[in-house]
Amino acid sequence: MLTANGLGRRFGPRWIFRGIDLRLDPGDCLLVRGNNGSGKSTLLKVVAGLLARTEGTLHRPVALGYAALDLAVYANLTGIEHLELAGRLRGEARTPAESLHGVGLTDAAHQVAGNYSSGMRARLKLALALAHDPELLLLDEPSAALDEEGRAIVANALADHRQRGVAIVATNDDRDLAWATHELILDR
Amino acid sequence: MSSSWIAEIRAVAQKEWRSERRAQHGLWTAGLFSVTAVTGMAFASFGQRPPPTLAAGMLAVTLLFTAVTAVPRTFLAEEEQGTMDLLRLLGRPETIYLGKMLYVLVQLLAQTVILSTLFVGLTSTPVVEPTVLVAGLAGYAFALATIVSFAGALAAGATNRWLLAGAVGMPLLLPAVAMAVGVLRVGFGAGFVSGAIQSGLSLLGFGVLAFASAPWMLRGLWGRDQ
Repeated sequence: MLTANGLGRRFGPRWIFRGIDLRLDPGDCLLVRGNNGSGKSTLLKVVAGLLARTEGTLHRPVALGYAALDLAVYANLTGIEHLELAGRLRGEARTPAESLHGVGLTDAAHQVAGNYSSGMRARLKLALALAHDPELLLLDEPSAALDEEGRAIVANALADHRQRGVAIVATNDDRDLAWATHELILDR
Repeated sequence: MSSSWIAEIRAVAQKEWRSERRAQHGLWTAGLFSVTAVTGMAFASFGQRPPPTLAAGMLAVTLLFTAVTAVPRTFLAEEEQGTMDLLRLLGRPETIYLGKMLYVLVQLLAQTVILSTLFVGLTSTPVVEPTVLVAGLAGYAFALATIVSFAGALAAGATNRWLLAGAVGMPLLLPAVAMAVGVLRVGFGAGFVSGAIQSGLSLLGFGVLAFASAPWMLRGLWGRDQ
């Protein structure tokens, strides 16, 4: 599913992390912990392919979902237009309306994302990450901007996907990911 | 090109159109600049027709700056807004590039039609070879769209992306302007059609080169690790 050996990423002369070994099977959940600046978000971006690795080997599934606090959505597109775009670009397992319903955004489907609250944007990003039934889900602080209702929706969605064999890598969410099977602590 | 590619390219172009239609600042900037520039030229040449080569140069330069206003909307703005990562996650570099370029091309063609009509009307420049002029303008719009998209995409990932886009774009755009003048001047009555064909083919080849090389070059530049 996901294997990494000796994974490292450097910005200039400074190593953000180095020598990371990972092995995740379907249904596994890896919780990545660490202080601010320890490289958690960078690690997830490297695994997602948004940043190139400096060293090491990485094998990951093609179908992966990624959601992060600093991932921006289009302020001038509606929620449903985001899902339609995703569907046309990579093919989706469910309709845009179903995806938005799954994260409790049905009522806001036709509002532009620029008018969403930060919690609604987090739900939209999760819907985008889940819409194509990924084999691997990468979540950078998935419930950081969410209220109680949002946290419950996210927790249910993740539990559901994990039962279906999706491997999950998440950062700093020990409350909602108490069922993590693996733990990685980044410390600098 | 498979139907999947075409659907993806259309989806990206449609996304650009929706974003642009709602934000509108890009369209307004390009429109206001174009109309102001052409009107200014009309005032400057009031009562006298500009010679064909000068008219061709003025029109080519106005279209060039109209195209340059499209640069931010291709890739640089995506990086500034942080939405480029979302696009990277959703699609392939090739289809994203082509979709964005398609949108820029359609917009540039529309602007070219409006600008050229205004220019010819306001400056009373006679069109001697309309077929050459129309073909030259279409080829120029294509070359500008491909080069502007190419420069924007190439510079998008850099820290000093705005500076780099200009540095990359300038040496590519200047030959395109020269070639376009070579075609448009014939349309306005100077030189020979055979010369226009030569310049036009060079312009088209220039555009095709940028068009063909950019998508595949981008895969290596976008930080993807596949």
